[in-house]
Amino acid sequence: MKRYILKRSGYCLLSLILLSLTIFFFVRVTGDPALLLVEPGASDADIAAIHHQFGLDRPIWVQYGLFVWALLHGDLGQSFYYQTPVMELYLDRLPNSLLLAGVAMGLSLIIGIPSGILASVRVGRFWDNAGKIFSLLGLSLPSFWVGLVLILVFSVYLGWLPSSGAGGPLHLIMPAFALGWYFAASHMRLTRSSMLEVLGSEYVKLARLKGLPESLVIAKHAFKNALIPVLTLAGINLVIMVNVAVVVETVFAWPGIGRLLYEGISFRDFPIVQGVVLLGGAMIVVVNLVVDILYAVIDPRIRLGS
Amino acid sequence: MGPLAVPAAMADAHCHPHRPTRRQLLAATVALSATGLPRLAKAAAPAGQLTYGVHVSLAPTWFDPADTQGIITPFMVLYALHDAMVKAMPGKAQAPCLAEEWNAAKDGLSYDFTIRKGALFHNGDPVTADDVKFSYERYRGTSHDLMKSQLDAIEVLDPSHVRFKLKKPWPDFLSFYSSASGAGWIVPKKYVEKLGDDGFRKNPVGAGPYKFVSFNPGQELVLEAFEGYWRKTPSVKTLVMKVIPDEATRTAALKRGEVDIAYSIRGELAEEVQKTPGLALKPVVLQAPNWLYFPEQWDPKSPWHDVRVRQAANLAIDREGMSKALFLGHCKTTNSIIPYTFDYYWQPPAARYDPAAAKKLMADAGHAGGFDAGLFYCDSSYSNMAEVSLNNLAEIGIQVKLQPIERAGFFGGYGNKKYKRGIIQAASGAFGNAATRLAAFVVKDGAYAYGSYPDIDELYPQQADELDHEKRTGILDKMQQLVHDKAIYAPIWQLGFINAIGPRVGESSFGAIPGFAYTAPFEDLTLKG
Repeated sequence: MKRYILKRSGYCLLSLILLSLTIFFFVRVTGDPALLLVEPGASDADIAAIHHQFGLDRPIWVQYGLFVWALLHGDLGQSFYYQTPVMELYLDRLPNSLLLAGVAMGLSLIIGIPSGILASVRVGRFWDNAGKIFSLLGLSLPSFWVGLVLILVFSVYLGWLPSSGAGGPLHLIMPAFALGWYFAASHMRLTRSSMLEVLGSEYVKLARLKGLPESLVIAKHAFKNALIPVLTLAGINLVIMVNVAVVVETVFAWPGIGRLLYEGISFRDFPIVQGVVLLGGAMIVVVNLVVDILYAVIDPRIRLGS
Repeated sequence: MGPLAVPAAMADAHCHPHRPTRRQLLAATVALSATGLPRLAKAAAPAGQLTYGVHVSLAPTWFDPADTQGIITPFMVLYALHDAMVKAMPGKAQAPCLAEEWNAAKDGLSYDFTIRKGALFHNGDPVTADDVKFSYERYRGTSHDLMKSQLDAIEVLDPSHVRFKLKKPWPDFLSFYSSASGAGWIVPKKYVEKLGDDGFRKNPVGAGPYKFVSFNPGQELVLEAFEGYWRKTPSVKTLVMKVIPDEATRTAALKRGEVDIAYSIRGELAEEVQKTPGLALKPVVLQAPNWLYFPEQWDPKSPWHDVRVRQAANLAIDREGMSKALFLGHCKTTNSIIPYTFDYYWQPPAARYDPAAAKKLMADAGHAGGFDAGLFYCDSSYSNMAEVSLNNLAEIGIQVKLQPIERAGFFGGYGNKKYKRGIIQAASGAFGNAATRLAAFVVKDGAYAYGSYPDIDELYPQQADELDHEKRTGILDKMQQLVHDKAIYAPIWQLGFINAIGPRVGESSFGAIPGFAYTAPFEDLTLKG
């Protein structure tokens, strides 16, 4: 088991190193941040001064070395645009993103799981078809469009909810719904397929043959087992919601990490992009590691196979 | 050699030393009422709140004038929090603010400033000559190297008087000190030294009409009226600048009354605002001309080498039609790459739209059937403009293929002179005057000049050394005329930046300062009722 954990941890570390290399070099291909901080027509001296201030006048490998060295000391660098440590910016925005992602995840599970179960036990009938339409819409309607429609209906026409910003529970409703909408559809589809698989298994057949009531078969025997892949996906989705809810946070002016990433990309603020992507990547890697270890604990075949 | 006394209020008028006429007295009265006489315009206590929907994220660097970059956006906050010795104000490009007056030495080697009596920082400290010296020396933003290299020393004569000594005469000193940099915006020396740069950005203290209350990154900036402001007490007590990056959401917030002023509302959304009762558009013309550039004009084998082809392209562009279609007609069409608000701007003949004359010029140049001009490079955020130009050019037979490039990439390629063939559509809102604009875009070795003409190049050093304002104006006029005659560019317009206000806003002060995109002066803002 110890060997298995060490091996998985090694893969995780390698993933993070590759991620840091990829993001560091690719973000620099996208353009010169100095050109976005001055107007065209600015003097070469002004552009050179900005390069010097941000350390962009040094050789790229020196820049990468300094980045990694700072990273090892828990320093993600200083934002070009905000002139503030990236870690400080990230931690400032993290509570907002956690709140939004938490509520959006709750909504997606509340909508997605029951509708998935309903669709699986009524295969080919009305509720299944309704579920298919719901999942089709959820996965195909872009979240910016859903967000704008929500604003138009609930803010402009009905006047029930504030159009944007953060501050109180009312501010949370529309962005959480717009963000949770897509994930509700994906959770619904996975719950349905997982339930169908479990409902066709031998032990469920046995439970039915024993004469157990259908509700008990579904709730006790099928649902519990079908839930495992759904919750695994939900864990990964939660990390994604926290770190890359770029569109929803921008549309609703929600001050979270997704918007920070959007600002970083817009201004070619390399330290912000690097920091947010790396921290998001680290979260996904850690969640995957934990899940892998838990699977190995539950199912010895996994660690023996590895 | 003694200093030549130029009363600041007259500095732009180039008045002769004779008795003022009635017209001049009237003009002086208007100018004084525009810039305000200290303490004469004592208003009632500030009340109420105005909320802004701001289109970009507010950065703490904007709270410190020392970090001013060469873009207009930070001035959205600087005009509220801080004040400058000399700055653009309604009716005057170089209005006396914290400097009551200034004198330039006859030899152009020094400038003496008298600091306004009663000017205070938000912490109650008076603005002194030490603060002025400190602010200049601390400055590290745009044109920093240029401003430092020209300066010999700053002498504090007494707490109310400061002298800037230059190494050699520099006719553009006041342009750069007043509007093309942040060096003339004054911060309190003792306070900054006590808190340090980071501390100052977190709790800025200035001498502007509004004082800092709180800043929540990514969300909002809250400011409160400073009753000790020298020009007048602001009418509105609290200003809240909320960051709402999405244009549609800003419009919704304005319609719902969550914000009173929304920056940057374009196209269909602007039309929507126009139709909504109680809301109004407040377009302002930016000091950012857009143009087409023909980088092949120095290649004798290229059709663009013939001035008639370039003139034809100029005549083919339907500027008014484009402005109506894309910006509800709020752009100011132009025939110059220099903003009309700049010092030494030369007024060219008005731009014309005449496809028939364009076709004739093409035929005269031997291109009656048109030609394939290759790629049309542009910043992708302005590709809608480019599409109109493309169609206009196609009407006279010039075929080009659109090549939109993301902003940073586009300006990188433009500056590095990668787009040697085809057409470039670009713009610049860089600060400065006609000379600085020509230096970057026209004169030999200019950062964005793909070639140059010897007769224009010859004139450039002459104007740079000329201390006589009228003679220098003559040289710069000549240079601009040559740019026009040679059709080096096909200028299009100065962009209309469309803002919107809600029903509670009385005076929004949009457009009060020509070329300025945002509301200013802030102390002039009012609420209705």
